[in-house]
Amino acid sequence: MARYIARRALMTIPVLIGASFLIFWMVYALPGDPVRALAGDRPLTPAALAAIRDEYNLDDPLLIQYGKYMLGLLQGDLGTDFAGRPVIDTITQRLPTTVRLALTAIVFEIIIGLTAGVLAGVRRGSYMDNLVLVSTTVVVSIPVFVLGFVAQYAFGLRLGWFPIAGLSDGFRSYILPGLVLASLSLAYVARLTRTSLAENLRQDYVRTARAKGLKPSVVVGKHTMRNSMIPVVTFIGADLANLMAGAIVTETVFNLPGLGRAVFDSVLRQEGFVVVGIVTIFVFFYILFNLVVDILYAVIDPRIRYD
Amino acid sequence: MRNSARKASLAAITALALALAACGGDDDEDSSDSGSGDNGDGDTGEPTGGAFSTYISEPQNPLIPGKTNETEGGQIVDTLWTGLIKYNNETYEMEFTGVAESIEDSGDAQTYTVTLKDGWTFHDGTPVTAQSYVDAWNWTAYGPNAANNSYFFANIEGFEDLQGDVELTEEGEVIVNEEPESEEMSGLNVIDDLTFEVTLSEPFAIWPLTTGYTAFFPLPEAFFEDEDGFGEQPIGNGPYAATGPYQPGQGMEIERYEEYAGDNPGNADQIEFRVYADENTAYTDVQAGNLDLSDTLPQSALGSGADEFGDRWVEYPRGDVTMLGFPMYLESLQDERVRQALSLGIDREALTESIFLGSRTPAQSFASPVVDGYREDACEFATFDPDRANDLLDEAEADGAFDRSEPIDLWFNSGAGHDEWVEAIGIQLRDNLGIANYSLESIDFAELLDLREQQQMTGPFRHGWVLDYPSLENFLGPLFKSTATPPSGTNDVFYDSSEFDDLINQGDVAGDPEEATALYQQAEDVLCQDMPATPLFYGVNQAVHTENVDNIVIDPFSRIDLAGVTVNQ
Amino acid sequence: MTDQQPRDVEDDLGGTQTVIESGSPQDQKATETTVAQAGGELRQASLWSDAWRQLRRSPLFLSGAALFLVFAVMAVVPQLFTNADPNVADLSRSAEGPSGEAWFGYDIQGRDYFANVVHGARVSMAVGFFTVLGILTIGVVVGALAGYYGGWLDAVLARVTDVFYGVPLILGAFLLLSTLSNRGVPEVSLALMVFGWMTAMRLVRSTVVSVKDADYVQAARALGASTWRILTRHILPNAVAPVLVYATITVGLIIAAEATLSFLGIGLQLPEVSWGLQINSGLNRFRDSSFLVFFPSLFLSLTVLSFILMGDALRDALDPKLR
Repeated sequence: MARYIARRALMTIPVLIGASFLIFWMVYALPGDPVRALAGDRPLTPAALAAIRDEYNLDDPLLIQYGKYMLGLLQGDLGTDFAGRPVIDTITQRLPTTVRLALTAIVFEIIIGLTAGVLAGVRRGSYMDNLVLVSTTVVVSIPVFVLGFVAQYAFGLRLGWFPIAGLSDGFRSYILPGLVLASLSLAYVARLTRTSLAENLRQDYVRTARAKGLKPSVVVGKHTMRNSMIPVVTFIGADLANLMAGAIVTETVFNLPGLGRAVFDSVLRQEGFVVVGIVTIFVFFYILFNLVVDILYAVIDPRIRYD
Repeated sequence: MRNSARKASLAAITALALALAACGGDDDEDSSDSGSGDNGDGDTGEPTGGAFSTYISEPQNPLIPGKTNETEGGQIVDTLWTGLIKYNNETYEMEFTGVAESIEDSGDAQTYTVTLKDGWTFHDGTPVTAQSYVDAWNWTAYGPNAANNSYFFANIEGFEDLQGDVELTEEGEVIVNEEPESEEMSGLNVIDDLTFEVTLSEPFAIWPLTTGYTAFFPLPEAFFEDEDGFGEQPIGNGPYAATGPYQPGQGMEIERYEEYAGDNPGNADQIEFRVYADENTAYTDVQAGNLDLSDTLPQSALGSGADEFGDRWVEYPRGDVTMLGFPMYLESLQDERVRQALSLGIDREALTESIFLGSRTPAQSFASPVVDGYREDACEFATFDPDRANDLLDEAEADGAFDRSEPIDLWFNSGAGHDEWVEAIGIQLRDNLGIANYSLESIDFAELLDLREQQQMTGPFRHGWVLDYPSLENFLGPLFKSTATPPSGTNDVFYDSSEFDDLINQGDVAGDPEEATALYQQAEDVLCQDMPATPLFYGVNQAVHTENVDNIVIDPFSRIDLAGVTVNQ
Repeated sequence: MTDQQPRDVEDDLGGTQTVIESGSPQDQKATETTVAQAGGELRQASLWSDAWRQLRRSPLFLSGAALFLVFAVMAVVPQLFTNADPNVADLSRSAEGPSGEAWFGYDIQGRDYFANVVHGARVSMAVGFFTVLGILTIGVVVGALAGYYGGWLDAVLARVTDVFYGVPLILGAFLLLSTLSNRGVPEVSLALMVFGWMTAMRLVRSTVVSVKDADYVQAARALGASTWRILTRHILPNAVAPVLVYATITVGLIIAAEATLSFLGIGLQLPEVSWGLQINSGLNRFRDSSFLVFFPSLFLSLTVLSFILMGDALRDALDPKLR
């Protein structure tokens, strides 16, 4: 087991390097001259251009730029934006919004997704089961940003229950975007729970329990749930990183000042270091969460052996 | 949670403000010398006190006058400083209500003597002297400091010596061949503590008018000791002083500077700049009364907002113009009849009404209405007359100068909300003039600027201009003089007319402002015949505010006169 | 290696999660195993006829197919649905609401909105099909190479796949497209391909791995058949069923992804007629004229739904374990 974990962890290193280089390369292939755009319609003197480019290593070849960047990264230095503000500050300032949003989404995933999944999975083919099947299909079919507008229109504009956009209303500001961000994973959790539960209910040990005359609620609640939850729990764990990346759409629709929105704005403003910094963070999270989940999976489920 | 923290801090500010107002009552601030200093503030008497909050989005540059060229930081810097001269809030003419006692022309429109008023101090208590100006200007102009506003000093003698020898290769790489020779412009000379002399490299009669802008603000000695710290908590000479450093993502608080030597001290005791990542949130916060003032309104509010806010919705002209530039190097746009026809084929009124819902006004002049010498109907070809347009185009086509069956390319920068009006123009040109089709070429702003400079446009392009100083000349010379072509200038339609150049040059050396204006108007007439670009519309500065504040005035640079804002107690 | 990891879980949703927010490798792995097993060692002929019999009776499949037909016809001959010219504009009726004359009202340029929304079907379908075609091409080639030859080649390709998995689809395509100044159907499709091919690759790879040592493949090899022939005749046909299920669902998800990118302002550009662009533009009038957002959203969602319904039903039909 230890060997497996070590090997699995080592394996993520080239992936991290590859993914971050991919991002770095794309950002620095951006057309136009980001420095040039700083001065708007006005000319920036060549001397000023030279000074800025030098400061941001823009004169170096791509590989050197990347090398310098990674060296800095290892020392916790993500560079600065063109206003001279450290990228790490932007990240620490905006991270809480994104994390809060992702956590809100996870809560919805668990509450709604699990409930719907259990209700559907206990009795396959029932009315409830079909309802869950159809509604999850519909939810999956509606693109996240469209779902965002529907929520904004219905609950924000018409009913006025929640703010349409922004963070002006404290905790309540996170409810609509959280729900929208969760929608897709929520449908997934519901279906995963449903199948997993139905599968387990067919197992011999359940039949035995039933034959012993145990109440159905005990059978489902005590015997089946734990086994059925393994895939669901690992999915939710891995999904946390996913949700953070998905925030780029949700935060833009709901105008939340999180990391996703920052990526969006920075791409438009050609703030290369900010884009690279945040996306690299996303990818780090993404890969690390998956690593942790894989390892956890191996620990939880004794049926899987590694050597 | 965050919200309640905000409310708590606001309450604390208000309490503090009340306490300060009580102390400020017996302040021996002398307001008798206000003289003709009516800036349209309404009342120039005792400050009204109180506190209010105002919207700001994250500044993109350190809060240093030489570096701040955007509205966000500009709003803060302009409130913390007072310039040599100020512009009147209603007529936008210059007034000596700032630090300068006078700016005297030695007679050749090339050498000016600036005399400062006595008694002005920076917020750290040090005096504002001639040296404060000369040092600040030299620092901004010095190439390696990479100050965005350095171009404001390009017409001062010796500016070149501060740039060094820098080469731009074809790939856009910069090669520094030589460091700058000097750190000081030879055209700036300190005579005594309150006097300095400015020598320009060429005569420029309206130079004094230009000195009100952010770039010309003075810097205290403290700046040169700690540039980075200064950029976070600037020390100016204006009606308000920073109480702490700017907090990224949150904002900044400023309080009235009690030693302010100007005629119009601030009304409110405290002002909070509150950072919003987006204007929608700010707008709803003003609706809910959580924020007092916002001057950046979401597009979606334009339809219903004015009715909803009533007299708490204010509008002022913005000192800008949006044009469609006609690249003069293009074969298909060589004939002036083609350019005139394209211009006549655009229904500006329909654009501003339907696409902008009144947040723009149609333009029929190259200059903004805020400048002296603006004529409402300067350009006959900047009207909507499809019949005349078609006649002109028919003629041009008969001569082989144009081909309607070729689609027309329209260039603009993407991601900035220009898509719809540019497409509307494409449709109008197609439907009104019978041009086969239009193609929208939207690219990144930086790339667009590069392509414009490199003469790579294949059709008309979006051409925006915001004034540097309220003068007719600013809308003409920098954009259309043949000597102002890139890379050093902004004439990127590459217009070249000796007649136009001569008139501008004559205006620059004219004896008095009226004569200059007349010459500039003649230059505009030349443009209106040649149409190297066509004016489309002007911006409107809009703001909404709560019942808590009044007297909201926005200047043509899109900056609110925060000192003039009164708080209703 | 983890991508071999057996999972005793089947998920009905299959690859759906993967593309929209580009799910974790977990989901994709699960999908592969399920779908691969579905195709695996079964007798192909009876599989297909059984599946067809089941599909004909499935209301979900039939409604999905009907929706698909409507939108496919709309994409090819939009004139069948509307007489109005989508290009005729009149600013004086800008953003006028729905009426008897114009069912969906007029857009901001004063064009008939119904005609424009109908014409939007074409680019969505085009992006969906081109992208999935590209994804399948890359997936089959890379997956077959990795699976058949194994060894270091497999290891290298697996790492490359991991690297691309590390970048979420929308994020990757967003960055890549922001480097291009002209973005039409080919560019957007390409960007979505670059960050969307990995699941197809793993799907094909696992099928190849599972059958390459089967008796009949050994036999063919012994008879001296070329590698090409073994791959195309004996191995890859096993992957058709899982790939078909995957591809059907993915077309829908790619259509959603294109609309998302266009909505973010980094996908297709005007004057291309696209639902994403229409929604983006209608957003500025959201408070006053919400129909500008509503109609293209409806069409977009129904199109995606048609593919998901068909894909879901197809998987159920091709996976005997679920019956």
